[in-house]
Amino acid sequence: MASDSSPGNVNGGPPSPDESLSSPIGNTFSSPGDSTRQGRGRRSTASYDTPTPPRRTSSRFATPEVTPTPSSGTNPRRRKRASSAATATPTGSAAAATPSSADEAPISSEAGDGDDPDAPPMYVWGTNISVQDVNAAILRFLRHFRENPAEIEGKYMRAINHIIEIEGDSLEVDAQNVFDYDSDLYTKMVRYPLEVLAIFDIVLMDMVSRINPLFEKHIQARIFNLRSSTNMRSLNPSDIEKMVSLKGMIIRCSSIIPEIREAIFRCLVCGYYSDPVVVDRGRITEPLICGKQECLARNSMTLVHNRCRFTDKQIVRLQETPDEIPEGGTPHTVSLLMHDKLVDSGKPGDRVEVTGIYRAMSVRIGSTQRTVKSLFKTYIDCLHLKKTDKSRVNAEDLMEAENDTNRDDETVDYEDKIEKLKELSRQPDIYERLTRSLAPNIWELEDVKKGLLCQLFGGSALKLPTGASFRGDINILLVGDPGTSKSQLLQYIHKLSPRGIYTSGRGSSAVGLTAYVAKDPETGETVLESGALVLSDRGICCIDEFDKMSDNARSMLHEVMEQQTVSIAKAGIIASLNARTSVLACANPIGSRYNPRLSVIDNIHLPPTLLSRFDLIYLILDKADEQTDRRLAKHIVALHFENPETSVPDIIDLPTLTAYMSYARNNIHPQLSDEAADELTRGYVEMRRRGNFPGSSKKVITATPRQLESLIRLSEALARIRFSEWVEKQDVTEAFRLLQVALQQSATDHATGTIDMDLITTGVSASERMRRENLVSSTRNIIMEKMQIGGSSTRLMELLEELKKQNSGTEVHLSDLRHALATLATEGFVVVHGDNVKRI
Amino acid sequence: MVGLPYDCLANPLGAVRFTFEKALASASAPAALEGKDWGTSDLFQRFLFEDDGISQVPMLTPTTIRSLQTNTLVRFRGMIQDMLGNEFYVGAYKDGDVWRTNKFSDVSQFPMEPSSETRMWERRLLYCIPVPGQNGWTEHYWGTQMNPLTNYTSSPRQKRQREDDISMDDVETHAPDHDFQDSSSGKRQREDGVSLQSPYLENELAGNCSSSFVPACDRSFFPCLLKVYDSPESEIKLNEVFEFVGILSFETEVAKDEIDEFDYGLCEEDMTHLPPVKVPRIHCLSYRKLAAHDFVSSSPILEPKSHIVKGIRDSLLSHLTVVLGNDGLAAQFMLLHLLSGVHARVDAVAVGKLSLNLTCLGKESSSIFGNRLNLAIRNLVPFTHSLPLTVDYLNSVSLSPKKDYQTNRLVAGALQLAEGSHLTIDETQLQAGTLNSTGVENARVLKMLMEFQKVEYDFTYYKMEMAADVQILILSDGKSNILPADLVLPFRPSSADTLDGVEPEILKAWRWYLATVRSLTHSIEQEMQKVVEDDLVAARQADRSLGSQDLSRLLTLGRLMSVSFGETSLLLEHWQMVKELDRLRKERLQGSA
Repeated sequence: MASDSSPGNVNGGPPSPDESLSSPIGNTFSSPGDSTRQGRGRRSTASYDTPTPPRRTSSRFATPEVTPTPSSGTNPRRRKRASSAATATPTGSAAAATPSSADEAPISSEAGDGDDPDAPPMYVWGTNISVQDVNAAILRFLRHFRENPAEIEGKYMRAINHIIEIEGDSLEVDAQNVFDYDSDLYTKMVRYPLEVLAIFDIVLMDMVSRINPLFEKHIQARIFNLRSSTNMRSLNPSDIEKMVSLKGMIIRCSSIIPEIREAIFRCLVCGYYSDPVVVDRGRITEPLICGKQECLARNSMTLVHNRCRFTDKQIVRLQETPDEIPEGGTPHTVSLLMHDKLVDSGKPGDRVEVTGIYRAMSVRIGSTQRTVKSLFKTYIDCLHLKKTDKSRVNAEDLMEAENDTNRDDETVDYEDKIEKLKELSRQPDIYERLTRSLAPNIWELEDVKKGLLCQLFGGSALKLPTGASFRGDINILLVGDPGTSKSQLLQYIHKLSPRGIYTSGRGSSAVGLTAYVAKDPETGETVLESGALVLSDRGICCIDEFDKMSDNARSMLHEVMEQQTVSIAKAGIIASLNARTSVLACANPIGSRYNPRLSVIDNIHLPPTLLSRFDLIYLILDKADEQTDRRLAKHIVALHFENPETSVPDIIDLPTLTAYMSYARNNIHPQLSDEAADELTRGYVEMRRRGNFPGSSKKVITATPRQLESLIRLSEALARIRFSEWVEKQDVTEAFRLLQVALQQSATDHATGTIDMDLITTGVSASERMRRENLVSSTRNIIMEKMQIGGSSTRLMELLEELKKQNSGTEVHLSDLRHALATLATEGFVVVHGDNVKRI
Repeated sequence: MVGLPYDCLANPLGAVRFTFEKALASASAPAALEGKDWGTSDLFQRFLFEDDGISQVPMLTPTTIRSLQTNTLVRFRGMIQDMLGNEFYVGAYKDGDVWRTNKFSDVSQFPMEPSSETRMWERRLLYCIPVPGQNGWTEHYWGTQMNPLTNYTSSPRQKRQREDDISMDDVETHAPDHDFQDSSSGKRQREDGVSLQSPYLENELAGNCSSSFVPACDRSFFPCLLKVYDSPESEIKLNEVFEFVGILSFETEVAKDEIDEFDYGLCEEDMTHLPPVKVPRIHCLSYRKLAAHDFVSSSPILEPKSHIVKGIRDSLLSHLTVVLGNDGLAAQFMLLHLLSGVHARVDAVAVGKLSLNLTCLGKESSSIFGNRLNLAIRNLVPFTHSLPLTVDYLNSVSLSPKKDYQTNRLVAGALQLAEGSHLTIDETQLQAGTLNSTGVENARVLKMLMEFQKVEYDFTYYKMEMAADVQILILSDGKSNILPADLVLPFRPSSADTLDGVEPEILKAWRWYLATVRSLTHSIEQEMQKVVEDDLVAARQADRSLGSQDLSRLLTLGRLMSVSFGETSLLLEHWQMVKELDRLRKERLQGSA
């Protein structure tokens, strides 16, 4: 029935023929002599969307013939129901036959904003979706949706007005909004996107033409932010013809393919220009006879290229991102079809999230072949594309610009996540848990990890109105014996940090780290190429084998580490580049192994100017300790003989960790509380005093204003870890502790600057530390009780007896007591001479 | 058991059709059959494994491909080199009033009207290649010499279907007989049970022994495209070795000129680069993962009994000692090295790997012992590789697999190896020179493989680490700094006696030993654990330079040592042996330093 009327009806045929040109299938069907298929195609298109008004020339979707044998089981049923509906209501079938007459119905009902009781219900072909209902629902949504009830004008009305102003051609519609407003409409849209979006476009155009009748452009709805996104791997035949949202990485873009929409022909004989010929199922029929009555020349028409209308088309391949690939698999890919504005919106290498309609087309086989190929090629007709970058911690302003517009569409998902992160941050042991989760496979080194954690979170940078700026980045130097997994730590941080760069000191030159001038091979101009430090702006630059770096290269770091810029003056280029980077370096002590007879400074052997720029300098010393050895042995034996899965402690997984960090870096900017400020002052004065210990002038690292700044940064980072807007006293205390532990200051003999190896606390677990602290305080108490200032000395054994009496629960060894006394001695509380203890 | 209405071997599609119709009769709607098996798998499973039909299924190889017909059952053994994603096809369609299926075939058996009702189903595409570095001797166990034509004459086969209860290996090694005495050979097989000692086989093996000195890797490039149905994704992984049984098919080629611009953009990648003429398609009906012992003949010894294992171990050890010029220590470590394999991964650590670096191999000794060693290893393990580590080589070759986005294919690098492959890296030829960026990258990839047993696959925009399990042996003059091996041992040959030929039977026993013992499970007793821990602590107290890697290596050695005796738990004597071996090794290291 319908097939008879549609071919002539170029403009009004519901499957407005020009759209089929956008469809790849149009081509597929153009094989000559395939009359059965064409017939079928027409039939299906005609019976398809009966009520579409004639104006709908801009729909970017091909009619269902795109999936001519649509595989999905619903289609045959659809067709049946459509025909039955048509026969049941004579008016309906009439409408189907002459679509132009039927158009009036939906439009008028729209105008009245209600259903015309006389109009027969019209259904999207094969479904129970009433066109009028959907039409009205979309209209309602566009008119009345408000994000905030207080707004006078709806969000989308504003958007439409905006589009008219800027003469845009698409309206971005947040699917989440649709869902919130009308979940039924959302469901229909996702399940029957072709039909519903066609109606959407009609409604939009109708609205636009009512606001501004002169506005001629076609506005398309671009849907994005579906409630659930599909994994590329799990796309299956049931997703065909549905709206899906996928994440992936663009790996290949085809060149832009101009696709003809309207062709204009000119008669070579008389110069007559034909009316625009629109594409019909991917083909342009060249007029055989000149249209001019006086001419009527045969085969004289020629295409006038520059008067034809073309649109852009591009085929893009999207590949799964590495995190979605299961073990032992290779990434899947899917083709995307981009039109118009979407063309070139993504480049190879971009991580994107696309929303589109999953479609399939049958693979053609030579028309001479008797056999029919039973394959389909699938692709996604792209509606919306959004760039994402979630692989690493977002550096503060890295993606800001791009994300700005999309900020609100992430809200729900985002807020959900934020809530989870906040919940995490409220846990009392969050600091410990994060520490545990950092490089869980690296043994011990708890305090080092805590320092690294602070580095990852960072303090807040401050810029005074006077122009002076204070960096918020924390620099860390790890000095230690070989084989203490320094490099692994570095590698781990490099992977985790935003814009991490990893270099080895041995292979780095000064220019390689900062910036160098190179000749562009193509233009011959001199260009500035960024080095590692500049590249890791707002990230962490990890430098391995710091000690093996040339002095020249190392001296370049002075500027970077304090001023956070790189200044270049060479080859006519004078520039200052930002290098707001945290430096994480690691080095071996001089002579490769730590020499306990030398002072700390002598062991590290780096210029003090550079040294003072590091906030934390960790001495990671390998100490003969049977307990650690035993734990290591146990660990290794378990590794080899037990199921390793069972022994995983409670840790936070990497994505959560990055998300947590990213959120904290972006949103938490802690300030010093008065209490914390007081504590800082007090602690700093104390440090200065201790540094000025007589006879220690050069052998220990004294406190400088830089150290105070470090302490502030560390305290801020610690507050950030807790998601706290205020730096509390506890943060300051912990910052002091970190600083001390880092340099083994508690173990340093201030008189000589050497370390008492027995007192090293790095890597000692928290419980052990607690025990030691308790011991120190109980020893102190005993001494306070039993001994007078300047009184006679007491023998160690007596003290031990006393201690054992008090701490009946735990075992106390003589060595423990010695530790405690040594600590007390550094405080200037007692003096130990051999076996005698004297209070001073 | 009366004759079936279909013939699984020559007309497997008939069987598919039969089961489809049967299933349809009970299920009524074809939608119910979507995405699952409707009894075909059971049927073929029964036919192949219970009725032992698998022995009659011809193996698809470059030589047999010419004689095989499409739409018949074939076997293919290969490594998954790439996965090409899923393919949607018309799974079922209505031909008049009857539902037909296209499952397991590329083209429909009956004319498919364009207007007919259809169902869209999906299948997985896997790109397989013969296992890289597969040694010649393995093929004899899966009979390339079998004449496939015997299988097309239907009457003997049907008879055999009933009477065959022999193992596949036997049939295949005897396959040439089938031409003349098909059924009688089957009977003979039954009579003497496992008859590996038949004169024919011995000749074959003896011949093999000498001929297998020719590397097998130059076999012609013979990839195959597998179409797998209804399998859970996790069952098949990249680089695993499988045996597939399925229906051979040749896709009709899409004529080039008919691909217009659009089609070209969408489908060029997958298919046009795999011309059906060169790449046969197999619609997979059944598959199973193969381990090393599937490539070794089934042996009379089925249970690894300790005294037998010990006997084989001793003979293998003495063989290795001879090969290594009477260096007993090197032979000990070599044996353990050949038994090593990653058995667990904890974080980044691959537990169980044991790479070996034999140092002190000068130019001369390397040409003698290097070759001897290579040959010996090639005869022992199924998949071997060797890399000449020279500056030129490093600078030119691409070791890690790389994704080519032009063709949308993964281009195999030299390091895309099957699980359990053996890799010999000869560093003795290395001269001073400059590495270019490719060379540096290659050195890094090699180092990563050594340290973590992982290979980085280059996907241009990112790299993906794939777990590998490769035994690595390095031959070098000094200690290799580019490739830090787990074990470094200065090589001290004392004689270079010529090798005696090895009895094929013994060779077979060794292969069986290596394959079987490697797969044994292993545990540790409570008391032993204590002893080991104490030893480790003591060792570390005595020598602070011992890192966790050294301790880990000791445990790996211990584990391998007891495994080499066929034990499933660590025994004190083996632990002592290992400690002694390690002590000797250290002495030697110091002596050579």
